[in-house]
Amino acid sequence: MRVAMLGWEFPPFVSGGLGVHCFELTRALCARGVEIDFFMPVSGKEISSPIPNLRIIEVAKTQLRPYLFFSKSGQRATYGQNLINAVNEYSAKCAETVAEYARQRRYDLIHAHDWMTARAASALKKSLLLPLVQTFHSTEFDRTSWPWDYILDIERAAAANADLIIAVSRRTKAQVMRLGADERKIRVVYNGVDMRRFASAQIDGQAADDFKRNRRVVLFLGRLTEQKGPVQFLHAAAKVLSKDKNVLFLVAGKGELLPLLINMSLQLGISENVRFLGYLSEEDQRRIYKLADVYVMPSTSEPFGITALEAMSCGVPVIISKTSGVAEIAKSAIKVDFWDINAMAAKILAVLYLKPLAKTMGKMASGEAAGLSWEKTAEETLKVYNEALAARG
Amino acid sequence: MEICIYFQVHQPMRLAPYSIFGESARGGDGYFDDELNSQIMRKVASKCYIPANSLMLSLLEKHPEFRVSYSLTGVFLEQCRQFAPEVLESFAALARTGRAEFLSETYYHSLAYLFADKDEFIAQVELHQKAIAEFAQTSPVFRNTEAMFSNDIAYLVERLGYSGILAEGLEHILGWRSPNYLYGVRGCERIKALLRHYKLSDDIGYRFSAKWWSEYPLTADKYARWLSQLQGDCVNIFMDYETFGEHHWEDTGIFKFLEALPAEVEKYPHLRFSTPSELVLKFPARDEIDVPQVISWADMERDTSAWLGNDMQKDAFSLLESLGPAVKETKDAQLIRTWRMLGNSDHFYYMCTKSLSDQDVHNYFSPYDSPFDAYINYMNILRDFQEKLADAKRR
Repeated sequence: MRVAMLGWEFPPFVSGGLGVHCFELTRALCARGVEIDFFMPVSGKEISSPIPNLRIIEVAKTQLRPYLFFSKSGQRATYGQNLINAVNEYSAKCAETVAEYARQRRYDLIHAHDWMTARAASALKKSLLLPLVQTFHSTEFDRTSWPWDYILDIERAAAANADLIIAVSRRTKAQVMRLGADERKIRVVYNGVDMRRFASAQIDGQAADDFKRNRRVVLFLGRLTEQKGPVQFLHAAAKVLSKDKNVLFLVAGKGELLPLLINMSLQLGISENVRFLGYLSEEDQRRIYKLADVYVMPSTSEPFGITALEAMSCGVPVIISKTSGVAEIAKSAIKVDFWDINAMAAKILAVLYLKPLAKTMGKMASGEAAGLSWEKTAEETLKVYNEALAARG
Repeated sequence: MEICIYFQVHQPMRLAPYSIFGESARGGDGYFDDELNSQIMRKVASKCYIPANSLMLSLLEKHPEFRVSYSLTGVFLEQCRQFAPEVLESFAALARTGRAEFLSETYYHSLAYLFADKDEFIAQVELHQKAIAEFAQTSPVFRNTEAMFSNDIAYLVERLGYSGILAEGLEHILGWRSPNYLYGVRGCERIKALLRHYKLSDDIGYRFSAKWWSEYPLTADKYARWLSQLQGDCVNIFMDYETFGEHHWEDTGIFKFLEALPAEVEKYPHLRFSTPSELVLKFPARDEIDVPQVISWADMERDTSAWLGNDMQKDAFSLLESLGPAVKETKDAQLIRTWRMLGNSDHFYYMCTKSLSDQDVHNYFSPYDSPFDAYINYMNILRDFQEKLADAKRR
């Protein structure tokens, strides 16, 4: 089977779960004999295919970004006419490039990820007469509290045009249905985690001890945007610190809320116990989990939440919001309402101080993560491919 | 062939969500969720206890040979008094027929036998006897929490004056032997073990409404036919009383099944109903069983792992146990009662982290989102109790 996959990011050019998903998914699919041409924007980084059967094709430069719509001053920098132009421009170029490649080798199927690639995918479905599978890693409803009609329209069209839709959780499935998609063509395929990737991460024990100085470490890792819940995280931190000063809160990631969060940590009087780490390199991301005594993912709206699985694969106890896709499958996690700051703080304290709890959760977490592999994700994605092909006859 | 039907009747004293930030708004000692407990008690009363008891009473009136037996925990009796007194009255009405037997157990549905010091276990058995004596005749047959049983348990229970004890009829203790006889117990003199026929019990308790089951739907005439084909002295059908109307809702036909059963059984002249104490009087022990490790009727493992299988459960249990002597020293009735309530086996059951099918059963019964939440809430409350205890000692 040969697939033209329209993506947005690929390691080392990654700003979120989408890039991780594309890398792990293509790798596992190619291992199953699927040939993939992966079309993405020019990244400016050295991206080469790590695997046979996979070709990475950089289409064109674009100012579009899947997540970071905000400039430093907090404005939605690329919104407005600029964005519309950029979408039209990239979609046209992408469709053109794929069509060109299709003349040399015939594709069986188009697989598009998220809204940025949807227009090109729809055009190609018509011109090449191929089945189209569309994955939703998130919807506009998840990414912002002020959904923009323009993007919603693209997502609605994507949902309508796809032969089959993959949603990364039941929660996302419900969101996609809000876009008007027919429930019968949505398949839920959960993300996975690569245990090996985290098992190999090393951290200098002495350096870790020097850093922690007998303090317990609570980790937040994600884009600093509203829906990831960093505000809730800091408020929970203040509650925890009201009971115990010997806890360090790490905030890893960047995003438009950073200035606000720094101010907030000062206003709450907890700045001494909060460290903003900025965006972590891939290697540091793998290592940071080993420093953590508990990982907290307080997202207000999280289509899936791959980081929770990553922390689990490192045997770190995780506390996640009920409004996350990963909460549907993670039995070893404590689930809280993102708005219930007291409960979140109480659970953090419990994990930090009830040793049998942390031990039981950690043990269960790594066992559970081992069963949630990308191979499984690829296997189920392949089933969706075959279903889409069969429906076309 | 005697048919012995026994029902366990219990409702746990569920804990209120404890706020470590001091925002709990609960009365009394604040540990128990009166609102939730009363809500569940009233719901189960109307779906199960009231209709099942009234059906049972009419069956006893209509069929003079019919017998039934129960054990009611003290925790259940207290909640009846508090939230649904009419339920208690309906059990008293059954007791007055003289053909419903009420077995002994630990008042607090506790794991007290597993404490190193057995005095607490003995105290809870005595408390339970007193509570039952208020409305029924006490029984010479004992049933430990969740049918926990071993040679040592049987020995202690025999010393307390009992002549019979209930246990799970497991293959690994029976070997080639049948559960359909009474057995002596290794190391004991005269106590007889009544072994649950778990297949025939679970046919009603678990599988009655299971559409995947090849015998679905189960009818009273079919079930009576199965009973009639058994060999032995007696068959022990033990299950939770909540089977009727709660585990299997009324629309599954579970009440109709029960209603038809005595008449169907009476069609076979060699079948009769008996209570546990009647069995103990009537039949000798045919052989001896040897159970060095504690068995129970819970989960696939049928041991104590449903309550003490993981580190969280062991930690919580050992803290509870360690507070015992200090609690009793205070001689403060309220503190002692609270400590004993915190010993309900249910609190530990909710902390179970077993995977596979058993987890679903634990989840079904649990008021918590996860076993971790159960442990956190329990420990917060037990720590709070520990502080109250320290205050009491200082006074």
